[in-house]
Amino acid sequence: MDETWDINKIQQILPQKYPFLFIDSVIDINKQEKKVACLKNVTINDYFFEGHFPDNPVMPGALIIEAMAQASIILYAALKPGVAEKHPDYYLGKVEAKFLKPVRVGDQLILEVSGEKILGNAGIVKAQAKVLNEIVAEAQIVFGVKPKE
Amino acid sequence: MPKKNIEELKKEIKKLVSEIAEVSEEDLKEDAMFTEDLGIDSMMALEIIASLEKKYKLIIPEEKIPTIRSLKNVYDLLEEVYLKE
Repeated sequence: MDETWDINKIQQILPQKYPFLFIDSVIDINKQEKKVACLKNVTINDYFFEGHFPDNPVMPGALIIEAMAQASIILYAALKPGVAEKHPDYYLGKVEAKFLKPVRVGDQLILEVSGEKILGNAGIVKAQAKVLNEIVAEAQIVFGVKPKE
Repeated sequence: MPKKNIEELKKEIKKLVSEIAEVSEEDLKEDAMFTEDLGIDSMMALEIIASLEKKYKLIIPEEKIPTIRSLKNVYDLLEEVYLKE
């Protein structure tokens, strides 16, 4: 790990806030290989379980994508700190995703992201979400980065 | 690995761009402007660049990306970066 990321730094970098923050901690950052691993603890206190679903709490796939996208912002910020510290807007361009297994209460969702192409105004990454080392979802994410006007 | 000749390269690039941009190879004229004529946005252009880099194992410098506005520009850039490597 090249640097320490506590929850305060995560909250400084990610524009998403409660109840839409899906990264609890950054486990690993490898700038040279353009990789990060982040963690989201899935708990029964997560608000979305109230509706998804009352008798069968499963983390929504759309939110797994959101968690992967947030981990992608962490990667972007690690590789382009100068751009990230100015708090640009991040927007999704394209997502191609596969969901392989349900994510349930009690799971530790590990979000591994590797950079394919990271530019000053955009990025393409590959992301994998894992639980107990098994892939539960994977995606290719294309996103844009735009300075605030 | 022997380098491909330019015609072979052009054929492959056209196929790749056509797949990513979802434009038929027929409509993908060499001089057609990506944004104005074909509706290819900057995110698709980035995908095209990333795929070319992966396929031909090269790095296209960031400052060259805004110059890519048509298939012809892609051919020229690849010629410059790939064949002269």
